[in-house]
Amino acid sequence: MIMTAGLGFKLEHLDEALTARNPGLWFEVHAENYMVDGGPRLRALLALAERFAISLHGVGLSLASVEPPAGDHLRRLRTLADLVGPAAISDHLAWQKWEGGHHADFLPFPRTRQALDITADNVARVQDALGRSILVENPSLYVDLPGHDLDEASFLAELAARTGCGLLVDVNNIFVSAANLRFSAEARIDAIPASIIGEVHLAGHRPDPDPESGLLIDSHDAPVSDPVWLLYQRLINRVGPRPTLIERDDDIPPFQELMLERDRAHRLLEQRMSIDA
Amino acid sequence: MLEAADFQHAFGAMLASPHRSNDPAMRRALAVHRNTASKAARDALFANYPVTVALVGEDAFTACATSYVEIAPPREPRLCLYGDRFSPFIDAWSPFLEAPYLGAIAALERLVTEALFAADHPPLDAAALARGIDPEVALRWHPATRVAQARMPAASVWRAHQPDAGPDAFEAILWNPEIALVTRAGDAVEVHVIDVPTRAFLAGRTLAEAAANAASEGGDVASIFALLLSVGAFAEEIPRGE
Repeated sequence: MIMTAGLGFKLEHLDEALTARNPGLWFEVHAENYMVDGGPRLRALLALAERFAISLHGVGLSLASVEPPAGDHLRRLRTLADLVGPAAISDHLAWQKWEGGHHADFLPFPRTRQALDITADNVARVQDALGRSILVENPSLYVDLPGHDLDEASFLAELAARTGCGLLVDVNNIFVSAANLRFSAEARIDAIPASIIGEVHLAGHRPDPDPESGLLIDSHDAPVSDPVWLLYQRLINRVGPRPTLIERDDDIPPFQELMLERDRAHRLLEQRMSIDA
Repeated sequence: MLEAADFQHAFGAMLASPHRSNDPAMRRALAVHRNTASKAARDALFANYPVTVALVGEDAFTACATSYVEIAPPREPRLCLYGDRFSPFIDAWSPFLEAPYLGAIAALERLVTEALFAADHPPLDAAALARGIDPEVALRWHPATRVAQARMPAASVWRAHQPDAGPDAFEAILWNPEIALVTRAGDAVEVHVIDVPTRAFLAGRTLAEAAANAASEGGDVASIFALLLSVGAFAEEIPRGE
C-alpha cells in the first residue's frame, strides 16, 4: 500500500482509527510518548501498527545540540522501532538540551559550518544506533539570528549528502518562519532539493496572543490554513507526491473532522500521482 | 564567529532570564520558546494529575503547575513521565494549604502514572496457584504494583473520580487514613483500598513470609491472597530457558 496522507494519532481516536479503511492512510506518533516499558498505550500503538504504516516522530533527539544524543534515549528509540517496524523515523533540526534539562521546544542556532559538523555527527550517531536513516524536519523560526554560513535549504541538503538522512518538509513551519523572519516562503519551498524529501507535514498556526509581538506561532491547534495548502500544492507540483501528515496536537477535534483535512491532502496527492501516471 | 557551544550556553541563559537580552526581537522569540516549552510541560501535568485538576479546578492547577515547571523543568523528553516531584510541591504550595489532602492525592496519581507505563508481565493468577506455588520461592510484585500509605482517604477520593464511580461515591468517603494498592492486571490501572494485614502480606518476600506477616496482623491469609491474585498484584514466575 502506498502511503498518501496520514494523521497524527491520538489515543482517544484509537477505535475509529482501527476501523478506518481510507486508502493510503497512515499514522504518526510522537515517539517519546511510547518510549516506555509497557502498558496499554504501547499496546494500542502496536495494534495500530498491525493495520497501518506508522511513522515515529521524535521530539527529543536534540540533533543540533553540542551534546550528542543520550545513549539511553537512543536505546529506547531503537527498542520502540524494533517493536513497531515504522515506515519512517524523524526528528527536528534544533537543539533542546541545556544544563541537564530538556527544553520542550525546538531552539534555533546559527547555521555555521561547525553547526553542520555537529549536527551531521549527531544524525550519524542516531542512524548508527537505529541501523537505518532518519528524516530531519525544518523547525519554525521566531528570530533572525546573526552568523549563518548557510541558508536552511543548503544546510539540510548538505546534512543529507553527508549522512544519508532525508528531509521532512514542514510546510507550515516554512510559512510561519517566512512570516516571522520576513523571507519568501515560495522561494524557500522552491529551494528544497526534491530527491531528499521523504515526508511532508501540514499543521495549523496562530498569531502570538501577545499583540505586540507580531509573530506567528506554530501552535498545531488549528486547521491547516489556506496559504499553507497553496504552498503545499506548489511543493508537490514540483517534487511529486510524498507521504503527507496532518498534524494536530491541541484543541483536538473529532476524528472524522481531522480525516476531512487528511482526505483533502489525499486527493491532492492522487491528482498529483495521476499527472505522473 | 560564535562557537556553537558558546551560542547554546548564551541562548540557554537568556531563556532562563529573558531580560538579559537587549534586543526586542530576541526577547519576543525567547518568550515564544519559553511559553511553548512551559505549556508542553504543563499539559503533561494536566494529563498525569487529572483528579488533582478536578479537585482544585483548571485555573488553580495551571498556576501551581506553571510554578512547578519553572522550578523543576523536564529533565528528559518523555513528558508522559514528567512530574515525579509534583506531589511534595503541591504539599508546599501555599494557595492549597487549606486542602492538605491534595499532596496525598497527587502522590497516588504519580503511582498511577508509573503503573500505567510499567513493563508488561503475566500476573500470578489462581490458575498458577492451582499448579502449585513453592512457599519458599520469591513472591514478586507485578511491575505495575505500587502501595502507598496516606493520612487521607486518597484511594477513595481517586476512585470517586473515575468514570464508573457511583453518584454518591464522594459522599460515602470516610475521612480516615488509607492504604492504597495500585495494580494493572489488564489494560486499566486500578486503585484499591487495602487493610494492614494485606499490606503486611505484600511485604513478604516469599509466600511463607507473606502468610506469616498477614497472620501476625490478624488477617485471614487465604482471603487476602485470593484478593491480591484477583487484582494481579504479583508477577508470574517465568521459567528461565529450557
